Order: sequence, then structure tokens, then C-alpha cells
Amino acid sequence: MTVQALSGLRVLDLCWVVAGPAVGRVLADHGAEVVRVESSTRLDTARLIGPFHDGAPTAESSILYGDVNAGKLGLTLNLRLEQARDVLRDLVRRSDVVLESFSPGVMDGWGLGYDELRALNESVIVLSTSLMGQTGPLGTFAGYGNIGAAMSGFQSLVGWPDRVPFGPYGPYSDYVAPRFALVILLAALDRRAETGEGCHIDVAQVETAAYFLAPQIADCLTSGHVAGRMGNRDPELAPHGVYPSSDGRWVAIAVRGDEDWRALAEQLGVSDERFATTSGRLAHVDELDDRVGEWTARQPAAAVEALLQEHGVPAHVAIDSETAIDDAQFRSRAHFVELEHELYGKTVVQGSRYRLSGTPAVVDRSAPTLGRDNDYVLHDLLGYDDARIAALDVVGALT
Amino acid sequence: MGFLDAYRVVDFTNERGLLAGRLLADLGADVIQVEPPGGSSARRVGPFADDGESLYWAAYAANKRGVTCNLDTKEGQELALALCVEADFVFESETPGTMARRGLSYDDVQRVNPRAVYTSITPFGSDGPKAAYADSELVLWAAGGPLAAHQDGDRPPLRISVPQAYLHAAADAAGGALIAHLAGRRTGAGQHVDVSVVQSVTQATLSRILATAVGDPQGSALIAAEADGKVDQSGSGSGTAGTKWQVRDGYVAMHLALGPAAGRFTNNLFAWLREEGACDAQLAEVDWCAVPERDLLERARSAVAEFMSRKTKREVLEASLERKLLAAPILTVGDLAESAQLEARSFWVELGDQVLPGPFAQVTADAFAFRRPAPRLGEHNAEVFGEILGLLA
Repeated sequence: MTVQALSGLRVLDLCWVVAGPAVGRVLADHGAEVVRVESSTRLDTARLIGPFHDGAPTAESSILYGDVNAGKLGLTLNLRLEQARDVLRDLVRRSDVVLESFSPGVMDGWGLGYDELRALNESVIVLSTSLMGQTGPLGTFAGYGNIGAAMSGFQSLVGWPDRVPFGPYGPYSDYVAPRFALVILLAALDRRAETGEGCHIDVAQVETAAYFLAPQIADCLTSGHVAGRMGNRDPELAPHGVYPSSDGRWVAIAVRGDEDWRALAEQLGVSDERFATTSGRLAHVDELDDRVGEWTARQPAAAVEALLQEHGVPAHVAIDSETAIDDAQFRSRAHFVELEHELYGKTVVQGSRYRLSGTPAVVDRSAPTLGRDNDYVLHDLLGYDDARIAALDVVGALT
Repeated sequence: MGFLDAYRVVDFTNERGLLAGRLLADLGADVIQVEPPGGSSARRVGPFADDGESLYWAAYAANKRGVTCNLDTKEGQELALALCVEADFVFESETPGTMARRGLSYDDVQRVNPRAVYTSITPFGSDGPKAAYADSELVLWAAGGPLAAHQDGDRPPLRISVPQAYLHAAADAAGGALIAHLAGRRTGAGQHVDVSVVQSVTQATLSRILATAVGDPQGSALIAAEADGKVDQSGSGSGTAGTKWQVRDGYVAMHLALGPAAGRFTNNLFAWLREEGACDAQLAEVDWCAVPERDLLERARSAVAEFMSRKTKREVLEASLERKLLAAPILTVGDLAESAQLEARSFWVELGDQVLPGPFAQVTADAFAFRRPAPRLGEHNAEVFGEILGLLA
């Protein structure tokens, strides 16, 4: 077995739902030992979010949970109990990295704030991820799924101009934040390798999402223009939309310029001088969309994709979970990874999003069922004896 | 001082990958952005300032030094390869095969600098049957899954109105490159990091792209469905009718939560309505921790809609904090620019003419370094080629 990028790195993952656990998943893919702590007394929300194995919701069947926690060790601790917090302290002593996503202040309230963790382990790197950050007037603002998308501008940027803003799919800032969190965490690890110093990193999901709107914010500040929702249209390109097909699927088509248009027009059988230039196409965009939609509606979406791509025009079926598993590109890239699972026999997760030629990701173990690795973590990693483990068990610390 | 002060990055990316180098530059790395003599295609990506400057370029090439180099001539290729000799990181985002034709592929760079981490950002991946597909933001959003998942009623599925797909991939590229860099600390060797936009954006499906693979083709979104049993297809409640409320200056997102777990938030809301005389005595007395009858719920909705229509986003935000409501303003980019929260956390930096996102985390150590605005065309040619290559001594 080749050495992995992060072999030997010890990570304590106290996060939940998506934004935090997604960071630990990447570290696990690349060889880190990641101990995921959770409690069966207050289930991780991700365990309540589908899709579910065989469509049957249980605490163990969420594939969202399975996807963002693959490769981790699972330990159940009821952190409301001091005995459980002592176990956590022992884990901190031997960890390089602690990841946490409690509401700001919760860790402090437990006596597990950064200064206290640092007293246990001077060079520990603690990464806190929260909706608004640990500080500022809104630092205590708690929220449910789509509040991050609302507070970072994205709710206002998805939808049809004649309807109420629709918002992005799901908790959008949860998709953005882990990528930034990972970058700063890896940079902190690099610095620690040089200096031996740890640090506390405070990532606000809303700030990372706002980073993805930097050009639009600059536009607003310089010209006063406020970007808004415009369906699937583009201010500079036409046609640019999502069109129906004969098989009920949708196909996205984007014409990047006159050359793309000439190739598409030939397929449509349209020769109309009004459409020859971008400004002309933008001026007649409704009519253009109708013409494209009438043409796509007569054929299967995959045929539209293949035909237009053959002529160099950007087009793709709007992939869903059914088309994804048969998609030639996903298959070729081994995007879906089958893993053994204690309860379901097998499960499927997404592979790594980075393909490293020298030290590739290894995705070889499913996410933990509740408490799956309690014995291994307490006995093998922490060296607790049976009596100590039994004493923790008896008071309910291991739930 | 930044965490990555010790490193040099040679950045060949265009708009597909521009952000990756910016993130490393923010952390202190010396990032040299290489453009063709006519300027990067990213300079032609909107929105634009009044003087025609691309704000996409201004935002995501910020903090880098800039040089011009014609990679389609032999001299330019030799110069570019010479730049890579001293690089810790190389980023590129050309269509697969392009850099190899220029003698600047991973293998070529590896030959002159075996410890370089070389990262490619491509629309569909460096290989595979669709590697050469024509790409655009919308098409990649479709190919990776987040598009189909997201439909407002009978109309076609919706994208985000501001381009996002390449940003996800570029941020992933920065992460992947740093993983490879940490590997290099042990092995002494560089490697190739291959990031595909399509695979990066799958993350924005909330794992729903796996639904059929695990036998849940309907992809039941949330257990926490509406009280009336309807399944919200938005993945987060954002698509549920009645979670967006019009206020005087826009919209707020607010869930009228019912039942034992979250009904107290609705009780808090009605305490506010009651104080301002905005609901009748019967509504004011309801305990929303129990699930009410339908006609009562409809009357409650009307009262809330009427009440909200007289409020502003700011008033709702303040009430949300004070009274613990499940409500948040739907901020626009204009609101973000004026956000007291972002201001208090010193999120913005002024670089040249632009105010841009700065530190993307608060750190108890010097992590970031903000040094300069996005480079003018060829701004650092003499400096970079001089200091690195000794060509212009």
C-alpha cells in the first residue's frame, strides 16, 4: 500500500449535518484517522435527510449521512455528561485536528473552548464552522437549512423573475464552506509542520458563500447594479436555457457566440438574419427559446446532447440520480463507489473530487453506524480497560 | 505574513480556474498569473465596471502578480517552463490536451521540476468519453446534477443566476493541490491533481445524486416534511410554498413551524403579532406546538402575511434575534455589501479600486496576506522575469 497524503494525521470530528462532516470526509479519503463523535440521544440531522436505503427512513439509512461520513470511525458520546466530556478530552490530547460545528458558545459552555483544548494539547488545530461565524452581532444567529442561502444572497439569485424567489437547491452555503475550510485547514497543517504551532480557525459559512459572489458585490458597489434572478437566462448569451425532450428529461443548451449559433441553427433548420448576432438573439430571446424548445421536444434528451456536442455546441442532459449511474463520464471517472455495509450489505457513496496521481484517495469503508467503533476507539486508541468502558456505559456516557 | 508565504505558484488558468490561485495568494503564496499577450479570457467575463474592467477578473485575480507569455510560440513555451522550475504549485484549466501540445503538461513540468504539484481544472475531467465536450456554466450544472434536482412547479429546472460551477471546482482544486503538497512533504515528489467541474458540482445535490443507486429513486428529500405530509423537493424547505414572505423592501424566509419540536418558534412569532395588535384573540392563544386545524392555519398565514408586508428585512432580522424566530431576510448582493456582520468581522479588503472578500476565516495566527489588486496586463513582466529568470537583468 502506498503512503497516503495524510496518513498518521489524527482528526476528532465533532461536526454534524453537511458543512463540517464534509471536511472530515476528505481527510479520511486521504489517509487521516477520523473519529466521528455523535450522540444517539440527539441524532445528527443528516441521518434524518434522504435519500434513504431502499426508500425506508431509519437512523441508519440516510445516504447523505453515509456520503459525508464514509471512512470515519464512529464513537457515540453523550456530551451533556461530564464523563463523556472527559473521554473527549482524552481524544483531544492525542489529536492533531479538532473539527466542530456546534452553535457558537456551546463548546465554551462545556469547558471545551479553544483555550481549554489548547491547554490539553498545545499544538492542536481547532476548526469551528458555523453559519455566521463565532463573532459579530449575528454570531449567535442560529438557523435551519436555507437560512445560510438567504443570508449569503443566494435565495435572491434563483428563480423566475415573475415568481417569488425560489432559492438554490438545499443549504447552499453548506456546499461552499467545506471547500474553503479545507483549504485553510491544510494550510494550517503545513504551517504546523514548519513551526509546531496550532491555531483556532473560525469559518463562517455565509462568508464563504459571499466569496462566490465577489464580482456581483463589486458590481453593486461600483455601479449600484444589484444582480437578481433571471430564470436560466444569461445577460450576454442566447439561447441559454433548459429545454424539454420527448422522454420527459430536460436538456441544457448554451450558445456561447455566433459560431455556436450557426451550428445550432443548422440543426434547427432556422435561417433568420435577426438571430445572426448575439444582440439580435438577445432581442428576440422569447421567440428563440420557443424555437429551440419545439425542436428539442421532438427527440430524447440524450440524442440532443450527443448531436449538439458533435457539432461543438455546449449541451447536456440535466442529470438526475437515475441517469447519473449510467452516465458514461461518471462511470469512466469511477465517481460512484460501492462499499460494504453492516446493515445493507452494500452501499454507494461518491468518490473523491480530486484525482491525485501519486497518492490517490482511498474510499474503502462505509460511514459508521451509531457507535460502531466505540470499542476500537476506547480500547485500542485510548487504551481504556474493560472496567472503565463499563463504567462509562453504565452512566449512559456512550449513547 | 500568511500561512503559505514560502511558496510560489505559477497560474496558467483562465476563468475556469482563476479562483484557485487567489485562495493560495490570500494565504500568502506568491502567485504568478500567466496570460496570453492579448489578455486572459477571464478579462472578458462580466460583470464589468463602467470603464470596461472585468469585475470577475478584478475579484479572482486579485493578490496575484501578472505576466504575459505567448504559450503558442516556442519561446513562450520555454519561458513558461522556466517559470515552472521554481514553482511549488502549477495550475491550469485548458481543454484537455492543450497543455501537452504546448509542451507544458504535467509530464513536461515534472521533468524539469519533479516536486511541483500540478493541478488541472477541466470541465468534465482530464479523461473519459466526454472529456472533449463543449462546456458552459449551465451545461456543467446540468451534467453534475444540481440542475435537475431543482424545479419550481411546471417550469424547467433552475440554475443559479450567477455563474457558480467553475468556482466550486477551482476551490476544490486549491484543496486538492494542498493535499498533494502535504503528501510531497513526506515523499519529496510532486504529482498531478485532476479536478473535474462536473464532479465538483455533484456536491451541490445534497447527495441526492445517489438516490437511485441506493434504491430510493424518488429521492425522498427530508423526513421533516410539511405538516400536511407534502414532500418539499427543494432539499431544504426553500421550495415549500409559504416559506417566503414579502416585506416592504424584499422578502424574508420564514417557516411557520408546527408541532412539539419547533412550534415554539411560531409561538414566539405570534407573541410579536399580539404585542402589535396584528392578530385576533383566538389566534393569539393558539399553542403551535400542537398541530392546528387547517382553517386556523390559513387564518394564521393571512395574519402573518399582512403583518410582514409592513415590516422591513432589518426589522425582521432584529426580531428574529431578539425573539428567536425561524426567520431570516433574503439578502441581496446590495445587502451583503452593507452587512454589519461582515463589516464587524473585517471580511472586506480594499485592493486598488475594488472592495473584495478578504479573509475567508478568522484565525488566531497570521494566516492571510492581502497585497495587491488584480494585475494589469503584463504588470509584473520585468519584475518576475527579471528576478526569476535573470533575463532582464
